[in-house]
Amino acid sequence: MTQAHPRPQEARPGWLAGQSAGVRLARHSLTLVALAVVLLPFADLAILTRDPWAELGRMARGLAWPAWGALETPLEALGLTVAVALWGTLGGIVLGFPLALLFPRSRLIRAGCAFARAIHELFWALLFLQVFGLSAATALMALAIPYAGIFAKVYAEILEQIPGAPRDALPSGIGRLSRFVYSELPLAWTRLAAYTRYRFECALRASVLLGFVGLPTLGFQLETAFREGRYHEAGALLWLFYLLIASLPWWGHRRLLPLLALGSAMLLGPWPALEGGLLWRFVSQDIWPPALLEGDWQGLIAWLARIPDLGPAIGNTLLLGLLGSVGALIVALVLWPLACRHFGNPATRLAGRGLLVFLRSTPELMLAFFFLLLLGPSLLPAWLALALHNGALIAFLVARHADAIRPGMPELGASGRLAYELLPRLYPGILALLYYRAEVILRETAILGMLGVATLGYYIDANFEYLLFDVAFFLLLVTAALNIAVDALSRRLRPGESAIIEDPCQR
Amino acid sequence: MAGEPRSPLVAFEAKDLGHGDSVVLSRLTLTLCPGERVALLGPSGAGKSTLLGALRRRLGDSAAWCPQQHGLVPQLAVYHNVYMGRLAEHSALANLWNLVHPLAGPWREVADLCDALGLDGLMRRPVAQLSGGQRQRVAIARALYQQRALFLGDEPVASVDPHQALRLLALIDHRHATSVIALHQRELALSHFDRVWGLRDGRLVIDAPAGELSLADLDGLYPDADTDADGRTGDAASRDRP
Repeated sequence: MTQAHPRPQEARPGWLAGQSAGVRLARHSLTLVALAVVLLPFADLAILTRDPWAELGRMARGLAWPAWGALETPLEALGLTVAVALWGTLGGIVLGFPLALLFPRSRLIRAGCAFARAIHELFWALLFLQVFGLSAATALMALAIPYAGIFAKVYAEILEQIPGAPRDALPSGIGRLSRFVYSELPLAWTRLAAYTRYRFECALRASVLLGFVGLPTLGFQLETAFREGRYHEAGALLWLFYLLIASLPWWGHRRLLPLLALGSAMLLGPWPALEGGLLWRFVSQDIWPPALLEGDWQGLIAWLARIPDLGPAIGNTLLLGLLGSVGALIVALVLWPLACRHFGNPATRLAGRGLLVFLRSTPELMLAFFFLLLLGPSLLPAWLALALHNGALIAFLVARHADAIRPGMPELGASGRLAYELLPRLYPGILALLYYRAEVILRETAILGMLGVATLGYYIDANFEYLLFDVAFFLLLVTAALNIAVDALSRRLRPGESAIIEDPCQR
Repeated sequence: MAGEPRSPLVAFEAKDLGHGDSVVLSRLTLTLCPGERVALLGPSGAGKSTLLGALRRRLGDSAAWCPQQHGLVPQLAVYHNVYMGRLAEHSALANLWNLVHPLAGPWREVADLCDALGLDGLMRRPVAQLSGGQRQRVAIARALYQQRALFLGDEPVASVDPHQALRLLALIDHRHATSVIALHQRELALSHFDRVWGLRDGRLVIDAPAGELSLADLDGLYPDADTDADGRTGDAASRDRP
């Protein structure tokens, strides 16, 4: 009745204009990509080997025809890999669970956990190597300490999110422990167990990597075989590792774990002869600049001046972190539809899933090592490795999440389903996962330095090698500070809590 | 209204009740006397849960509490959920052991209760696998197991059929001298309780013996869907803590 004259038509929005969540996130992502493109000229992306394709062919042949017979004591290395992963994770739980209960209340514990998390397992290994040598103690502590920090944070988050109704319904006067085991722990149990399981899988990868610093796990033989060009042997070892990961649901069954833990404890070793004096000297003297211990401030400034210029190394670390994250985003966006039930046919889906499992179970250092042999030492192999591994990991989670979505208009074509039904629902989650991964990616950029990529890790590795523990430890602190800063930044940038794909394996 | 010979268990005198800063029930005046069975009526969002919460705080350990969302732990068995009513009476060690292997005494007592509530044979079943009505009975069993003199229930018979509701209320009456129970079955309120408190828009508009009230009086509490919707938004807003 009141509509006397037609209202003027609403103006058509311009390119990517508007305030809807989708458009906002698209602008956000494009800014990220643009930043990476602008900074790309500063990265050293040269291909330095003369004939990468011939090398690639040899590697592919090695993977296709593994030389099983050439392996020396593979079962022993395999057993030690599992033992270190299992006991390292258990150590992390034992240390991390009590910390998780104190985590919300103590700023000191939160800071300590952030520090333990910010240093990669391999760097912890390098540190403990100086005290405990090539022993099981080094391997276990290298896993248990960072994992304690991770468990403390994640367990605390899970416990914080349980519904409060059962706790509020209880009568008063119940002790803290009874309240916890009846009205809190059962509600959190499934998620705690799922996350712990995922962490154990990470621990298996990390345990393999410990071979790269000389501990006799699977990675030791793998690295030697790769470095010496015995690709058929390396292929056999890689297959062994994939079989180990793929068969995890069977041998890692809940009921078998106690048996496995006891059995594998026998394989741990050798144990170091612990010298208290040596340990104390390392902790109290070796890792600190002598000038600091003497209170000589002039000397400390001179010591700082002698440290090589860290600007380029920090720049490379951050640049690689950014490039790796953007690369992972692109890889994830390309790969997830391959493994998702809404696209393709059973054969393509099987192939897609196989590819994702392959990429995400290969330790990123392994991938980087592979590309390094192929392309020579520049940022390029590190970038490819980070983008592929993390992109595949995100794609895997997104595909699983997409499988659970029931499209409102199932008759749409593939492109329509992707653009209108699935991507709008999934993209906030993809971006949130990416920001979670950004911290992990940065931590990994540092360890890629051990392969000769000029990040902070390169200098840490070199200083440990020259036995300059004070400089190495200082660089570790710088790395940790950088990681904590980037973690804080990514937490601010990532989409809100509601967007996050609910999965224990997101971090 | 005054002139009760016995001293009241709880007496509110022009009291404001709410969560934090937001007042849900303003200037509330009422008394609860020993031996009274009170039905608490009112549209959702009128402040029933707020009033029960305030009573629970006042009465402390003398009241058994049966909350609206049941407050059960879905992963634990029926037995353990009922046992939780008396967690405070055992040592932490006994409570831990009870999770591994049920204590003999409590197992027998809970089994008797479960028989009375029609939950027999379900004691070892996780609560997550029960139907809505069964869960409600588990919540009542837990409140009964506390063995207190008073019973406070926030819609404990909301999702069971009328026949069963009568049986459950009789069981509650049998074991508690005094009770305050939020309901939405008006007929039950008149037939089964001594007194009715009626809340509307955050005010106590009915406080009278059940015998002096008619269904028409109670209808005044639920005027139309409009008020109900208002009440709901008010309730939601008060629950949105910063």
